[in-house]
Parts: sequence; C-alpha cells; structure tokens
Amino acid sequence: MKKIIYSIVTLSLLVFSCSNDDDAFTQPEPLGAYENGIFVSAEGGPSSISYISNDFSVTENQVYFNVNNENLGVYLQSVGFNNDKAYIVVDAGTITVVNRYTFEKLGTIDTGLTLPRYIAFDGNTAYVSDWADPNDATDDYIAVVDLNSNTVTSTIAVAEGPEQVLVNLDKVFVSHKGGYNTNNIVTVINTVDSTTDTITVQSKPDEMAINNQGHLVVLSGGNEPWTGNETPAAITKINVTDNAIVSSFVFGIGQHPGLMSYSDGNTYYILDNAVYGLSDTDTSLPTASLFDITATSAYGMAVKNNLLYVTDAGNFSGNSTLKVYDLSSGSETNSFDVGVIASKVYFN
Amino acid sequence: MKKTIVLLIAVCCSVVSFAQTQLDSVQYLDVIELSDIKLKQNAAGFKVTVLKDSVLSKNTSNFTDLLRFNSNIYFKENGYGMVSSPSFRGTNASQTAVIWNGININSQLNGQTDFNTINTNNINQVVIRNGGGSVQYGSGAIGGSVHLDNRLSFTKHLKNEVKLNYGSFESKNISLVTDYGQDKFAFNLGVNFIDSDNDYKYLDSDKINENGAFNNLSLNVNLGYFISEKDVIKLYHQSFIGEREFSGTTATPSKSKYEDENSRSMLEWVSTHQNYKSNFKVAYLKEYFEFYQNKNSEFYTFGQVNTFLAKHNFNYKLSKQLSVTSILDYNLFKGEGSSFGNPERSIFSATGLLQYNPSTNLNLGFNVRQDVTSDFTSPLLFSMDALIGITKFYKVKINGSKNYRIPTFNDLFWQPGGNFDLVPESSYQFDLGHVLDFNWLQLQLNTYYIKSQDLIQWKPNISGFWSPQNIAEAHSYGAEVGLTINKKYDNHQLTFSSNYSYTVSENLETNKQLIYVPFHKANATLAYSFKRFSAHYQQLFNGDVFTTSDNLKGPFYSLQSYNVANLGVNYKVLQHSNHELELGLKVNNLFNKLYQNVAFRPMPNRNFNIQLHYKF
Repeated sequence: MKKIIYSIVTLSLLVFSCSNDDDAFTQPEPLGAYENGIFVSAEGGPSSISYISNDFSVTENQVYFNVNNENLGVYLQSVGFNNDKAYIVVDAGTITVVNRYTFEKLGTIDTGLTLPRYIAFDGNTAYVSDWADPNDATDDYIAVVDLNSNTVTSTIAVAEGPEQVLVNLDKVFVSHKGGYNTNNIVTVINTVDSTTDTITVQSKPDEMAINNQGHLVVLSGGNEPWTGNETPAAITKINVTDNAIVSSFVFGIGQHPGLMSYSDGNTYYILDNAVYGLSDTDTSLPTASLFDITATSAYGMAVKNNLLYVTDAGNFSGNSTLKVYDLSSGSETNSFDVGVIASKVYFN
Repeated sequence: MKKTIVLLIAVCCSVVSFAQTQLDSVQYLDVIELSDIKLKQNAAGFKVTVLKDSVLSKNTSNFTDLLRFNSNIYFKENGYGMVSSPSFRGTNASQTAVIWNGININSQLNGQTDFNTINTNNINQVVIRNGGGSVQYGSGAIGGSVHLDNRLSFTKHLKNEVKLNYGSFESKNISLVTDYGQDKFAFNLGVNFIDSDNDYKYLDSDKINENGAFNNLSLNVNLGYFISEKDVIKLYHQSFIGEREFSGTTATPSKSKYEDENSRSMLEWVSTHQNYKSNFKVAYLKEYFEFYQNKNSEFYTFGQVNTFLAKHNFNYKLSKQLSVTSILDYNLFKGEGSSFGNPERSIFSATGLLQYNPSTNLNLGFNVRQDVTSDFTSPLLFSMDALIGITKFYKVKINGSKNYRIPTFNDLFWQPGGNFDLVPESSYQFDLGHVLDFNWLQLQLNTYYIKSQDLIQWKPNISGFWSPQNIAEAHSYGAEVGLTINKKYDNHQLTFSSNYSYTVSENLETNKQLIYVPFHKANATLAYSFKRFSAHYQQLFNGDVFTTSDNLKGPFYSLQSYNVANLGVNYKVLQHSNHELELGLKVNNLFNKLYQNVAFRPMPNRNFNIQLHYKF
C-alpha cells in the first residue's frame, strides 16, 4: 500500500514538474558547462581557451571554437571577467564578449581598439590598455568602454606601453611595461574625472595585485642585460590612497622575474624555475625558494587554494602544459595539455 | 692550418686547371651565352629540371604558382601573393637557395627568398636543381636550388613582345620585352607591372581577403658585347619595387603593409679560349624592406643589406676527359636595420671543381669549397657526383655532399637575442637517381637522405627573450618521381608532365614530422596543341600538413589535403612570320575548392585571367 502511495506521489510530481518549469523541486539549472572550473588562455597561433573543471575531472581544449565554430584570432592577450560575461582580448584589435558559463558569443568590441592588451571593470565601464601603433611611443591610450553598448566611448592618453589594468575603488592602476620599448611607471586614473597621475617604479612593471592590507603590489621585471642598460627588478607596494610607495623589494642584478601571483597574504613569483613566496609581513625578499618547478618555458602562473598553476609553453610551436603544484609540499599534482603558448590561468 | 691547405689546393687548381665535358657542345663561341655554366657542366649527377620560356609564359600568376604546379617544391604562402617560402625535400625556408645568373640572392637578413618578390618576366629559363649545392652556390643550397637565368643571343634578330593580362580581383599585368642581337652585340629589356586588389572571397564564409592588395614593378636589362673574338662583356640588371598589404587571417584582420626594393646589377667578363675559359663577375646587390604595422601610420621598421661581390671562375681543360675549375669569391655585406644596428660581414671562399669524363657513359664530378668568414668558422664543404650511362636509355645519377647554411644577420645581430656564438648549420646528404629517357618519354626517380645538424632555432632563453641556438637536428628522406611524355601526330602535339614526392622530415629530438611539410605532394600538367589552338590542364595535390609540432590532427593542429586545378586555352588569332597575336583564357582553381596553404589563410576561389600576347 505504502508503495502504491509512493508511486502515485512520484507520478503526480512528475506530471506536475512537467507542466511547470519553475517547479521548486527541481535542481537549480547549471549556468553552463563551464561554470565551475579553470580557464587557460593560449596566445597561439592558433589562439584558444582550455577549460578544466575544479575537480580536474573534465577537461576541454578549444572551448570557444567548440561552442561558436569560429576562431579568436592571434594573439589572444588576456581575458577579463565581469558579472556573467567574459571578455577575450585579442591584440589584433578585437574584444570578443562571451557568456562566461556557456562561452556563447554575445558580441564584439572592435572599433576604437588597435592593439589592446588587458581589460578591467568598474560597474558598467571597462578600461582597456592599448598600445595603438606599437612603433609609436606617443599614441598609447586606455580605452573606456561602455559595457551596455560594447562601444569605446572615450580614450585616456597615457605613456608608452600600458600593460595590465586593475580597478580599485575609484582608481584604475595601469602598469607600463613599455610595449616595444621599456617604461617604469604606473599610471593612476581617477575614474570620477579621468585625471591621471603617475608613480615611478623599477623598469618594466607588469603584474599587479591588491594585497590583504589593501596595498597595490607591482612586479617590475627590470631591464635585461641585452638592453645595454640593465636595471634591477623589484616588487613594489603602493598605498592606493595617496599613491606613495610603501616599500620596495629590489632584486639582485641578473634576476628578472616575469611572473607573479598573489594569494592569501603571500606574493608568489617564479625566478629561473624556482618558486618564491613573499609574505605580507616580510621585510626583505626570501633568500630561499619554496620549491622548483620543471618547465621548459614557464609562461604564466596563478595561485588559488594553496595550489600553484603554471603554464609551460614548451617549444612554443606545439601544445603547452598546465602544471599544478601543491604549494605546501611543492609536488606536482596534475598536468594538462592546453593550447599553443598558454599564458594565463583564470578561475571561473 | 687545414683551411690554408685547402686554399692552397684550390689556388693550385686554378693555376693548373680545367676542362670540359663531352656533354655540352662547347663551341668556340657559344651563340647563346648563359651566365651560369656550372649548372650545365658540373651537375651531371644531380636532378636538374629546366622550365623553359613556354612554361613560364603559360603561367599567368606568380612565381610561387609556377613552381608549385611544375616542381616538387612545396610552398607555404601566407595567402595569395603574400610572403611565400619554400620547403625543398623537407628542409626549411632558408635551406633553398635562389640563384640569379649564378649568384646567390637569398636575403642576408633572414636567409630566405620570398618567392613572391621574384618576377619571371624576362627570365629566359628557370632551373630547379634538386639536392645539395653549397659548394657551387653557397649558403642555403641544402634542399636544392632554384636558378633564374638570362640568355643573350648573339645572332641577328629583333623580337618584341607585349603581354597584357586582366583577371579577377582587378588583377592587371602589363609586360614588355625587347630582345635584340647581332654578331657582336646582344641586348634585352623587360618591363613588367602587376597590380591586384586580390580581394577574393573566402569560400564558405561571408568574408573576403581584406588588406591583400599588391603591386610591383620590375625591370630587367641585359647587355652583351664582344670586345674581341674571345672576350665578351655582359651587364645584367634587375630591379624590383613591390608594395604589398599583408592580409590578415580568417579570425584576425590586418592593417599592415610591406614594401620591397631589391636591385641586382652585375658586370661580367668572359674570356673563352681553346683550353680555358675565364669568367670574372662583379656585382652589387641591394635588398631593402619597410614594414608598416599600420599602413596608415608613418611608423615603420626597415632592414637593408648592400652586397658587393667579386667572383672569378676559371675553367681549364686538361684533356678531353678531364677539366678543372677554380672559383674565388669575395662577398662584402653591409646591413642596417631597426632591430640590428649596422652589422658588416665579409666572406671569402675558394672552390675547386673537377670534372672527369673517362667515357661517354661515365661523368664524375668532385668538388670542394672552403669559406673564410668574418663572423664564424665555416665547415669544409664537398660534393661528389656521378652520371653512369647503363644503356642507351637508362642512366643512374648519384651524388653525395656536405652543405651549409650560414647564420643570418637576424640570427647574429637581432636586438635582443642575436647570438655571436652561432656556427653554420651543416648537412650531409646522399641522392640516388634513375633516369629512363626515350625520345618521347622521360621518367626520373630519385631517392635521398639528408641529415642536418646545428640547425639554428630561436628559443626563449632564461631571461625571457628569444635567442637563436644551434640546437636542432633533423633528417629528411623521401622519393621523387618525375614523368614527361611528348607525343606528336601531324599537327597534334600532346605533352604530359607530372611530379610526385614523398617526404619524411623529422626533428630528431622528438621524431615528429616538421610542421608544414606534406608527406605527399603531386602535380600534373597535360598540354595539347593543334595548329593555332592550344590548351592545358594542371592539377596539384597537396597532402595534409601539421601546423604545430605535436603532430596532432584537427583544425587547431593540421591542415587538410587539397586538390586544385587550373585550365587554360589559347588561340593564335594572327600567325605570320613577324606578327603573332595570341589570346588566352585561364581559369584558376577550376573546381572552386576551398583550401588553405597556411592555417587560417584561405587561398583564392575560382578566378579568371585573360591574356593578350603580341609578338612582333
């Protein structure tokens, strides 16, 4: 009897659920196939984006192509994420807008951009660094994009070679690696009135993060010896309120780190295949590394939940490898085949 | 010390020296003066294919098309008319030498020749020589060499030609040639202008080939004058001024533009005697380019190399069977460019060639060369070849050689990355050929093995920038089949020619096939003529290629094989002894096939070209 009641209930539920999509009994629909996972973007060519689920059980290469049956073009510089959208920045002058969970193409931003590099968001506005003509040191700008219409509404002229952009409160910080040249400033744009200020740091500032104290952390790679004007690399901490330098950790001559990631009180960087951790409370650069990685060409890094993700671009002519290391033990836990010249790791 | 000895030997050779093969009818005064006599005399054991005037004039498109439809060479062309680099016998783009009237014209900047900056208008013959030729032709002649030759004809004549072409995508081609000669004096002049919007449609898409327009102007002037019965002075000149937009890919638009300005001038003095022949050349070559990332901007990068060279070639006939040749060659290169300052390089080389033909069925060649270069040490190069006549119809050709490719200005001086510690790439090879030759049918089969080491490869170094190193090793082996059939019945003439190549070319570290080297490539041309009418059909099959080094298949890793066909018909409207007017129609990509030669760069859809060819 009990059984019969159960089956009647079940049947009725089924009928009910069939008739009403908003049924409270059904699971919330997943936002898309790529909701919980990691994206690895690869410069190419051909450029591509790979997906790896958070539990590492599902991997898929060429996600954008698989969903949209078209290519992104070369070279895929970076990806920005805002609300439910992802913005794929290709330095040939296009930003492709996709749903970050399904990866379906929603549109493109292709007028007003020349050689875009990175994108950052402030509400319905995005700031895109753009080298313009890379041979011209005086035409570089930050494009201001209206995200409702996906159009460039204005530009803010900046110095040579704007690279990464980071929005914090009412400021946009722009690291000037220097493009085809070399530069040594961070531009600060006031988002209210678009006025700019600059902070001088060591040469070739690139990666940036906000640490737990609210300071801006900037990695400057320094000029390499071949420039004939070698300058040291440094990690610089900047007070975001008054733009003053709080502290500067200068590297020795010959040391030019290019990759940095901040996570939970520690600034991690890679120098000659060794991983170092600089804690927020440290007063000098670590003398010993945490552990070594094995990579032919470490080309991108990110840290999350005590895991280090490094892309190894290998010989630059075939697929790259994403390697995952446990930060505590230093051991490699996983590795995945990703696109050609994989350069960035993002957590979706 | 070794070097000194080699030099001494070479110099001795030049003093003792020379002779002549039974092969070529050495006349006291050749009525037709070819600048590159070595190609005839010292290549008996090599596969040598000549593309004559008639084949050249049938080709209404570019030099790349001419070769991909008529030779074993595979081309990687960045969209029609854009940068085009060869892979000969599985070797890379800087391992095919291009020789203009005996002189190596590969760029000193990147070691290559962009085949779409070569204009064959007023080139009388194109010769393809398969296999290593560094001893005679210098750096880069590893997979083979492509020779552009001008002829001067010292017989009484005056010939003029006007060719007008018009085709799809607003393609225009105007060419004028005048050829004049008498006993002592010969002269020819060629002017050619090409202009095309090149905005073909990408099949299966709504896109067109944007930013792909090009135009170029080329001028050729050649003069020859006998100052005495035995001495002739010749002057060769070629200029090329080209402007090309560089098209983007299916996914990436482009705004860039490239300008080339190349000129080559050579003065030659040939002295021909009973037992010896001396040939002295001086030449001045200039290569210059400007690259605009954005064609609307005034900013550009540039590179320039001026080359001055002097070359003395001395042949001495010791006996009917034995001849020796010495070549002394001095090159001075001066470069200048946005990314590498003002480098200079000088190369002196001494070469000794020995040709021994003990019988009509046996030709043997033995050749050595040593370079002395200002920047690095070059290896001793050698080659040996033999032509063995087994029967009247069957011949065997064998050759083995050591060849090299010197580091380019980019490799040495590029900022950043240029590496002064580089040495030349070197390569050993062996080639066995069979020739079956009946009057109406010729069949050639060649098998070869090439092993190259110290290959220069740009890699990112620990400091994060790219730098070249002598690290890679590669080998390639394969087979080439060539078939030519000529048949004539009354007024009907039928010609069939076909080439097939099987190529394995592997990186010896990974044992993977190199990118952009097809395992299979084949082409065939069927030509028919009847009185004033003629027609030809061409077909090219290009096998799959890998586009990344992983040797994976799929849209991100490989390109599919393709078949392309062309059809041409011609009719001589006028045919008099001194007036001839021919009309031609050519359909390229007859079956309107979508194909890509380089990933994401579709090639043209079906297109048409009409030609008006007037000779008087």
